[in-house]
Amino acid sequence: MKERTIFTVIILSLVLITVGYLVATQVDFSWLLPAQASSRAVLVDRLFRVMMGIAAVIFLIVEGALVYAVLRFRRKPGDDREGLPVHGNNTLEIVWTLIPAVIVAVIGIYSYRVLTDVERKPSDPLVVRVIGQQFAWSFEYPDSGVKSSVLHLPVDHPVQFQIESRDVIHSFWVPAFRVKHDATPGQIDELVLTPTEIGTFPVRCAELCGVGHAAMTTEVKVESQEDFQAWIDSGGTLVSSATTAAGSGTDNSAATASAPELLVQFGCGACHSLSAASLAGIVGPALDGIGTWGADRVEGQDAQTYIRNSIVEPNAYVEKGYAPGVMPQDFSTRISQEQLDVLVSYLASQ
Amino acid sequence: MTVEAQIAQEKPNWRRYFTWNTDHKVIGVQYMVTTFFFFLIGGALAMLIRSELAQPGTDILNGVQYNRFLTNHGSVMIFLWIIPIWAGMGNYFIPLMIGARDMAFPKLNALSFWLIPPAGLIMLASFFVGAAESGWTAYVPLSVAAPFGQTLWAVSVILLGTSSIMGSINFVTTVLTMRAEGMGFWDLPLFVWSMLATALMVLVATPMLTAGLVLIAMDRLVGTLFFNVPAGGDPIFWQNVFWFYSHPAVYIMILPGMGIISEIFPVFSRKPIFGYKAIAFSSLAISILGLTVWAHHMFASGMNPALRVPYMITSMIIAVPTGVKIFSWLGTIWDGKLSFTTPMLFALGFISMFLIGGITGIFLASIPVDLHVHDSYFVVAHLHFVLFGGAVSAVYAGLYYWYPKVTGRMYNEKLGKTHFWLNFLGTNLTYLPMFVAGLLGMPRRVVDYAPEFASYNMLATIGAFLLGISTLPFLYNAIVSWVRGPKAGSNPWRALTLEWQTSSPPPEHNFEDTPVMTRWPYDYGESPLAEPGVAPAAGD
Repeated sequence: MKERTIFTVIILSLVLITVGYLVATQVDFSWLLPAQASSRAVLVDRLFRVMMGIAAVIFLIVEGALVYAVLRFRRKPGDDREGLPVHGNNTLEIVWTLIPAVIVAVIGIYSYRVLTDVERKPSDPLVVRVIGQQFAWSFEYPDSGVKSSVLHLPVDHPVQFQIESRDVIHSFWVPAFRVKHDATPGQIDELVLTPTEIGTFPVRCAELCGVGHAAMTTEVKVESQEDFQAWIDSGGTLVSSATTAAGSGTDNSAATASAPELLVQFGCGACHSLSAASLAGIVGPALDGIGTWGADRVEGQDAQTYIRNSIVEPNAYVEKGYAPGVMPQDFSTRISQEQLDVLVSYLASQ
Repeated sequence: MTVEAQIAQEKPNWRRYFTWNTDHKVIGVQYMVTTFFFFLIGGALAMLIRSELAQPGTDILNGVQYNRFLTNHGSVMIFLWIIPIWAGMGNYFIPLMIGARDMAFPKLNALSFWLIPPAGLIMLASFFVGAAESGWTAYVPLSVAAPFGQTLWAVSVILLGTSSIMGSINFVTTVLTMRAEGMGFWDLPLFVWSMLATALMVLVATPMLTAGLVLIAMDRLVGTLFFNVPAGGDPIFWQNVFWFYSHPAVYIMILPGMGIISEIFPVFSRKPIFGYKAIAFSSLAISILGLTVWAHHMFASGMNPALRVPYMITSMIIAVPTGVKIFSWLGTIWDGKLSFTTPMLFALGFISMFLIGGITGIFLASIPVDLHVHDSYFVVAHLHFVLFGGAVSAVYAGLYYWYPKVTGRMYNEKLGKTHFWLNFLGTNLTYLPMFVAGLLGMPRRVVDYAPEFASYNMLATIGAFLLGISTLPFLYNAIVSWVRGPKAGSNPWRALTLEWQTSSPPPEHNFEDTPVMTRWPYDYGESPLAEPGVAPAAGD
């Protein structure tokens, strides 16, 4: 009996270790994880795999013992006898205290090593300011002065984000990079990584930031060094293809960017919808037809005046069914007069 | 005396449940029924949330409504359901289990309960003035600028925290001073141990949250600047204050449930609890360690990066006492004579689902993995496996286990088992797909999501409706059996703890004779069949 028990334990241990090893090394987790597009992602996914292997073993031990006990130790009808008066077993209890302690020590040390690896300061990183505000992300490249609402990064070049917020707490999350960091008002936080895959990946806000939280998304475009440089040289106006298609073909200097480009640059589509510019926000009023209905909102203001006022002083008149204070109130300090003129005449023609 | 008057005297009127009453058993029932009512409200909010999320797009709720519903879903479930239902069970059963006639401070006890209905009404009434919409976490500065309902929310949670603190003072005093003759600390039933550990946590942690909420209320009402960033206020400060309470709150919500599981397994396995002292110590270890892990909720925030690692270590160490409990429970049912009554099924379900919550907790404690899954649906899945698969399963286990004691009647087993299976399938169907959605990149607290997450959300919504339906057999069973169920007798489970050694329901002062501890509460498996552990006190 005793020998049989030892034999069973050894066999089961070998089987479980094999299963854990296979989960950690062989199982395809691509259905469980997004694209792997940064230096962090590779290391984090490896750690995740190892933890899945360990988790599988623990899961099988506990659920297996549970199911076995349920099937095997069912009370027979009419059997009113008591079970065995076993109060404990010191050896067993020490084993099942120590083994989990060793396991979490291993996971802890491994996690710490991955942490120091992914957060090691790179030399000569590209600095990008990440600015969260209700309900859009914007990105600034201090070296070139370029500003954009879509994040562009060169592949295989380390980048250092400087993350901040203009209002409440947001959280800058790029699932394909396997990292997020809060944008906290009053402080600038640093985050380093190296993009490793060319492609377009979603950027999301992970911290509840108000009514438009779900819509606070944009994209990161990881490009070849050349494409990235061309984008920087263009002043950051070579934006998404949808916008380029809708653009009016003016030259590429930032000051005279086309209205659809400005709509993207200032993140209007995070909240507003406008079919002509492919904006699909759901938080604020739809802008379709604003050139018509904008004229009968405020006594004595034609559509142009109304639109201009609504951009620079959004609380002056708030559309029925929407809350004041949701739209950022600092556009007057961020939009040049020229850009404002372009936007107003474009919107008034809708 | 007329017959009617005699009956009225013998059978206390049901109306006493609606009055200021200092009998701990009346207060216990008041707690349990009131909090279950709030559970149904929190569940209705959850089903509205899941309806909205069934498909991408915003079909049913707009962004404002959605944020209000999710905030109040979380707040109601935590502050008006799980935390106070344990106070209800503790109230009813701690005095009975330790052989006391009542709680130490009966009037304070009644006051603790009577803070809950007004607090609940204040929280729900806030929907009429613009309810809180910044999540149950109320992160500043979002919550400082939120509509007036946020102030009502803070007032409500302050009242509930006060109730919880008063209740805990009562529990600790009762356990320390009112045990039956002959009952030492190592003779305490494990439910009492776990409530003691919980009460100690409440006493250390809850005042912190209450103080923090006063600061938020002052910022909102009288223009103080604690959280005003341009004036030098610090958003991270709130996160520290909030999680210093709200992580221990997780153990405040789960430890009493673990205590109930420790009561149920020996009874329905006919074996002593395996490793009694290890389980009791692990409760204390969890309550002490649990006070030192809070910043693992802030790994992605702007906290001091160097301080993250110690919090990762303490968070992982908690797995050890938790593992001790799980393995000890397995040791208890091993080689036993298991009967699968409804409370036993819920207890087994508790282990199988809480395990998933526990394992995924290790993933979240690991900083590099957390930086990916933090604030995603992975967290939503994890916390619901702990609090729904875990805590709520344990609540149901306890409600079925003690139903015959409280009502004097037996519930219907068939309905109970139907309830268990609907609940078990519903829980797994609701929350397992959320792990995948979160890993793939779906943030939490969103009214809308990318189409790639649609199938996981549809599954979760179907599961949530299954959970909604699962409450119907429970409610029917609980109400109808109370009136028409067969008489249960004093000890239908042949259990050894003291609450079963008196009539069902117990008389006004619990025991006909002053109970004396003569047998250890888990002496099952002895031959001949275990006898009840009460003897009349000498000279009584």
